[in-house]
Amino acid sequence: MRRADRSEARAAGLRYRVATDWPTVTEPPISLFPQRPAHGVRPALVARVGARTVGSYAFAGRLFDTLYRAVTAPFQPGEAAKAVSQRVTVRQIFFTGFEALPLVSVIAVLVGATIILQAQIISALPGEVLGQVLVAVVLREVAPLTTALVVAGRSGTAIATELGNMKVNDEILALTSMGIDPYRFVVWPRLIGTIVSVLVLTVYFGAMAIIGGYLANFLLGTSSFTAMQAGFAAALVPGDLPLFVIKGLGLGVIVGWLCCHFGLEVGSSPTEVPQRASQAVVLGMLACVVFNTAATLGFYWFAGPIVR
Amino acid sequence: MPPVSTGRVTSTGIVLRNAWFGYGEHNVLAGAELKVKKGETAVLTGANGSGKSTLVYACAGLLPLDRGGVELGGHPVHAKKPAELFRQGVRCGVVFQEGGLMSNMNALANVALPLRYHADVFGIALDAVEALAKEALERVRIREADYYTLPAHLSFGVRKRLALARALAIRPNFFFFDDPDVGLDPDTAALVHEILCSFRDDPEVTMLVATNRELLIDRLAVRGLTLQNGKVFERQSARIA
Repeated sequence: MRRADRSEARAAGLRYRVATDWPTVTEPPISLFPQRPAHGVRPALVARVGARTVGSYAFAGRLFDTLYRAVTAPFQPGEAAKAVSQRVTVRQIFFTGFEALPLVSVIAVLVGATIILQAQIISALPGEVLGQVLVAVVLREVAPLTTALVVAGRSGTAIATELGNMKVNDEILALTSMGIDPYRFVVWPRLIGTIVSVLVLTVYFGAMAIIGGYLANFLLGTSSFTAMQAGFAAALVPGDLPLFVIKGLGLGVIVGWLCCHFGLEVGSSPTEVPQRASQAVVLGMLACVVFNTAATLGFYWFAGPIVR
Repeated sequence: MPPVSTGRVTSTGIVLRNAWFGYGEHNVLAGAELKVKKGETAVLTGANGSGKSTLVYACAGLLPLDRGGVELGGHPVHAKKPAELFRQGVRCGVVFQEGGLMSNMNALANVALPLRYHADVFGIALDAVEALAKEALERVRIREADYYTLPAHLSFGVRKRLALARALAIRPNFFFFDDPDVGLDPDTAALVHEILCSFRDDPEVTMLVATNRELLIDRLAVRGLTLQNGKVFERQSARIA
């Protein structure tokens, strides 16, 4: 209703209704159960599920392609190429493994000490049981998993970011143009670097965590060193060695593989680099936890009677 | 450096057949055909965004085509691994628009990398690699003070020359140059043109240069090509005509 109409209505003693000013809009009724097409399933949903499935297969294909190319790359001919690749591998082991030693030392000592402290707080356990806790919890579970998570957080991000930036700056293309296989020169050394580093750092983590546990026990003064050592020696069995090696190798492969793959998935935009690096680390950590659980379950399933 | 064997490289040069390549829905190459004979030089021009760089990278075997194929010296490039092609005598020198230099290696290491990696193919001792790399750097007039500097700390002109030195070092028989003189001062541009002329006159080198400066066709007095709507068309050099 126009202003003039309203004035006329007022003059005539009529109350105008605001509602009449509003245009009449016919809206469809809101329903919690929207009508579906006759065939019962919305085509958009089918398309979405189909696209997601195809995308997952394609992703898995690319993921395994990266691993296959990296693993087969060192078997290509070329003595000089082999020497160059080996030098890069040694450097990667230094960056990923050796340079992580101070960080791993601190984390391991504190984790070992905290676990013994918690065990003592919950119930004053005898020394033998504390030794068994160190083997069952720290050596078999915490050491491999925490080491892999530390390597993924520290070096995994660096690998994914470095490879992503190499893609953006045409460095990977430049390598290919010079007849240098990026999988041999870039991916394989980083994969070996993470595998060796996770394996060696796991051993180191275990040793430092045990020292931390002994230290905590010594400071609390609740049980004797010899009792704890006896419990530790009794709990440690030969079956622990393959479990330790399988976990170290598997977790190292997962971290190196996923971080290299996501780094190489970057296209031409620099904004993709942090996104892919984040995906690499998040998925890498998740995969590490799943693998660690599966390895533990599998190992106890097969070797249950010999592992206490 | 001792002479490098050309292996089984035939006289066919660069052959691009029915090349299709797209970024998403947009086809940059749509059935492009191109033949550059061995020892011949061709300059490819076209508007910005027409796909010149894409075509050059596709010819160098760096981009997997959606359809079609590329042959360098009779070798299908996508069917083989990069090192395998190199061992069969296909040595591609590619100078990228932005250089494509290894950011974590200094200038000397960048040039030495392909020599070190293929030392057995070239038949050179590892001790000789550094001298050869320095020779390539001197050829493009990079100061000795810049030899141990990372690419990020070098000027654009020096980076471009460094990329050129790296491509020269492997003594390429296929040379691809993307935008050779963009952003260069007159002296550096003259140096680049001098090197392009030396490649043009070398019967062993097949060269494809992408530029949007049509002047380069006349300056080099070579075959001119234009990329339009994803296809390659011939154009005549004024000097030849």
